[in-house]
Amino acid sequence: MAKKNKKDSTRRNFLKQGFTIAAGSLLGGGLIAACTKEQGPVATGEKVKVLTADGKLMEVDRGHAMCCNVPSSADVRKGIPGRHFVMVVDLTRCRNARACVKACSKMHFLAPGQEWIKVFLMQDSEDTTPYWMPKPCFHCDTPACVNVCPVGASFKRDDGLVLVDNERCIGCKFCMAACPYSSRVFNWKAPDNQVDAKYSPMTGVPQKVGTVGKCDFCPDSFLTGILPDCVTACPNGVYFFGDKNEDVVTNGVESFRFSDLVKDKAAYRYMEELGTQPNVYYLPPVDRRFPVEEGFESVPDSSKAAYQVKRAHLKKYKI
Amino acid sequence: MNEEEKSIQNLTAYKPHLETISKKGIALIGVLLLFILFGVVCLYTQVAKGHVVTGMRDNVVWGLYIVNFIFFIGISYAGALISGILHLLRVPWRTPIIRMAEMITVISTMIGPSYILLCIGRLDRLPNIALFGRIQSPIIWDVIAITTYLSGSIIFLYLAMIRDMALLRDNPVKTAKWRNPIYKFLSVRYNDTTKQKELLNVSTDLLSIVIIPLAILVHSVLAWIFGMTLRPGWHSTIFAPYFVVAAVYSGTGVLIMVMWIFRKVYHLEAQITKIHFNYLGIIMIILGALYGYFTFSEYLTSWYGSIKWDMEVLFRLFSPGEYLIEFIFAVFIGVLVPIIIVTVPKFRNINSIAFAATIAVFALWVKRYLIIIPTLESPLLPIHDLRPEYVHYSATWVEWGLTFAGIAMFILLFYLFSKFVPIIPVVRTGEEKDYSRLRKVVFEKQMKKAIKENKKGDTITTGIVILLMLVASSGAMAQDDTQVQTVLKLEYFHVDSLQSLTGTLLSRQEGRYQPLEGMEINFKLMQGGTEKSIGSALTNEKGKVAMAIPEEVLATGGDKGLYTFSASFMGKDKYGKSSGATTMKPLKMEMSFFQKEQEKMADLKAFEQDKDGKWVPVEGLEVQFYVPRTFSLLKVGKGKISGGAASLEFPTHIPGNALGYLTLMAKVEDNEVYGNVEVSGTINWGKPLPPVKVIKRGLGDTDAPLWMVYTLIVLLSLVWFHYMYVIYTVFRIRHLGKQ
Ligand code: SF4
Repeated sequence: MAKKNKKDSTRRNFLKQGFTIAAGSLLGGGLIAACTKEQGPVATGEKVKVLTADGKLMEVDRGHAMCCNVPSSADVRKGIPGRHFVMVVDLTRCRNARACVKACSKMHFLAPGQEWIKVFLMQDSEDTTPYWMPKPCFHCDTPACVNVCPVGASFKRDDGLVLVDNERCIGCKFCMAACPYSSRVFNWKAPDNQVDAKYSPMTGVPQKVGTVGKCDFCPDSFLTGILPDCVTACPNGVYFFGDKNEDVVTNGVESFRFSDLVKDKAAYRYMEELGTQPNVYYLPPVDRRFPVEEGFESVPDSSKAAYQVKRAHLKKYKI
Repeated sequence: MNEEEKSIQNLTAYKPHLETISKKGIALIGVLLLFILFGVVCLYTQVAKGHVVTGMRDNVVWGLYIVNFIFFIGISYAGALISGILHLLRVPWRTPIIRMAEMITVISTMIGPSYILLCIGRLDRLPNIALFGRIQSPIIWDVIAITTYLSGSIIFLYLAMIRDMALLRDNPVKTAKWRNPIYKFLSVRYNDTTKQKELLNVSTDLLSIVIIPLAILVHSVLAWIFGMTLRPGWHSTIFAPYFVVAAVYSGTGVLIMVMWIFRKVYHLEAQITKIHFNYLGIIMIILGALYGYFTFSEYLTSWYGSIKWDMEVLFRLFSPGEYLIEFIFAVFIGVLVPIIIVTVPKFRNINSIAFAATIAVFALWVKRYLIIIPTLESPLLPIHDLRPEYVHYSATWVEWGLTFAGIAMFILLFYLFSKFVPIIPVVRTGEEKDYSRLRKVVFEKQMKKAIKENKKGDTITTGIVILLMLVASSGAMAQDDTQVQTVLKLEYFHVDSLQSLTGTLLSRQEGRYQPLEGMEINFKLMQGGTEKSIGSALTNEKGKVAMAIPEEVLATGGDKGLYTFSASFMGKDKYGKSSGATTMKPLKMEMSFFQKEQEKMADLKAFEQDKDGKWVPVEGLEVQFYVPRTFSLLKVGKGKISGGAASLEFPTHIPGNALGYLTLMAKVEDNEVYGNVEVSGTINWGKPLPPVKVIKRGLGDTDAPLWMVYTLIVLLSLVWFHYMYVIYTVFRIRHLGKQ
């Protein structure tokens, strides 16, 4: 619960836009697909009123509403049946506004300096163009981190998510060494300012000392139709999130058919050649909306140097 | 002189070491204990404060501990391979050095794994390994391999000690007599009868056969921890043999060092002779050459291939500012110097060979550092971080403290063990003589320097941390108590048959809106200057509150068919008053589906009330069609209602549920007259979802692949069967001794 409060308070940007968002979810509609197991939801005929994520009152069948409760703890490791969550990141829109990073860190009570989403300044070679690349966890289908975890604290769910159970994690950091995408962070010391909430791998809160954490796609609110926080926090609508089986991804304002978007914009997955089968797709940084320099506006002068390091390296390699 | 007399003579020669301890010895123990004590302090600090006290951070997740872990497991090879192989080949000069080799194995196999424990963030959760262990994880392979290896080494060491125990039982020690019953117990009534002798020989042979492949496996598994990851510099197929060769190389080096030290300290010049140093030296340089060959092959391959990531690691190794010096030491000096010393007869003597061994051992430690750290410092994605500890690893005093504590522990255990059991098997010792003088080793100097440098680095980081904390704390100040503006927005929704009002209450502070939770909002119907309360409710955590509009309110007919609703917030605490209003005209929409030949259509009908309250078709109203999805509505079309109707081709290509049921929604959005009206219908015309596949994820699955399970079971049972058999023979020996 505490997480939710936090989550919503970080939705300012979203609200500021004046509620023009026609999107938002429809509980009933989501439900029908949520229960795509053999029988699907059983209608009882009795109607109940529910308040949807975007504040509408509506009536749904009690049977449908029941079907849609947050998965019980047993399902935490299996995920929501019939789903396959994916994210599409539109590199043409990113200007390193860092709203996603802040929203994420706030909602997950990350220690200062810890980031579950990182925004990289990428430049593949000396003459190619630099661009900003936000990078959450890729929730790979064959995740290197899950393979190597000795105790199954990192696990892959059938709905595509890779989650960490920080109540089981022994903190060996093998997964951190195994992840080729630097997605994981470690709680090197006891994190302060944690909420007193019951821990679930679906919320990742509270953080625990000596365990790993990483982007979890905020699955605790999926069934109420709430998008991951980074998605709604981004002022430029960089992130599109959705269910591949429903074939729709949305950034909260626009919705696209996933298959069309990926086809039309020639999406790719980062370092596909590693065989990790990421569930995050990138739309190539063509016709960017912002010049790359604008991305430095949100970076304090003192931190600018951090972005020079890699470039210097690149020159030295002559690649 | 027959064998027995010789053995007794040997024992008499060694006995002073068992029975007395010199002042220097006590001082040594004292110093070692100090180191260990310091290690305990370090350990306490780490447990109490968390791993921040180490130099490890998110990029370099493993540091000195893993280096030490590989190092100690590496030197444990001395016993396994040297004693195993020499024993099997019946090499005549092996006897005096075999015990030391085995002791190195046992002690370092005990100390090595404790370093991996130091790497673990949650020691309290170690039982999870037993509870939830997944054999797909190389760490579990390691746990299994090392425990098996340690058990085997202990049994092996013990087997080789039985004869000495028997001799000690027959010639008890005179000081600290409590040891005598232990000797007696451990000697399992061994009397050197033909039968007992045979049993003992057979089981020793058996075990040395088992222990050799096992040792190779243990180090391969260790290499695979790194090899199985997708990291440049680690993901290499030759890693396992490379680690094995490097391990034996360093193991032999440590054995030579230990021989040299004990020869000097216990005056064992008669037993440990030049010949041992020469032969072991030759073995060592052969291994050194092999190690050099593997190293060359490894780096040449990645340099020639020049994959970007590999180049980054190589770049670090070859640049003077980073690891060049260490690289030269580990790869060139660590191989060439020992080879030159041992091969050139002029340089070859006991001291110089011991020196060469020391260089090799040091070089191998550094090599492990170079395997671990530069790779971790070169992640595939850039590091945009200015905190030095996140970019470059530098070990802290805690890590060094524990490193030295481990070394001290190694020496201490060795020393104490040599006070309990002859460090050289007293039974059947070969003979040769050689006397030489030693040369000073440079251990201490180097270590001192390292500590000094490291401390410097540490204060700098502490300074930065404090600075960061100051900066962070200053931000969380300002707060004011003046009244805060609020905004209340009211919307009308008509969803299917339910009509409702939704209010959103936000506070406005410094230009930022924030939802207000738990505030009471009153809803009213305004009619011709009068107000009629509909009810009140509290906002939720998003500042939203919804109220269904009762049927009777809508039956009033409104103001010429128009209804005006208002919502108000009376203000609370520092939050000011606010209100909102909305006016609407009821709109009735109905959706139906029909099929015309091949075309599947959705049909929408819309009516409004005319002045007399009669429902008449609407004209010219814009409507949008959507398919609701979990996180959003997918727009599938729009239409204009004319003559009270609009139609849309049903989007049959969009996935529905398993049976193809798909919901279509028609919406009138933010209309000035009608507000928000939506209606939806569901029909099985969508694309049916294929049945849920349970995806097999191989290694990522909860269950391990079968071949892995079988391999593990077969290997483990083979090894443990042999162990059991050997233990059984020990009991047989004991039993035979009774008669
Ligand atoms: S650090 Fe935790 S999650 Fe990662 S591999 Fe180790 S036990 Fe598993």
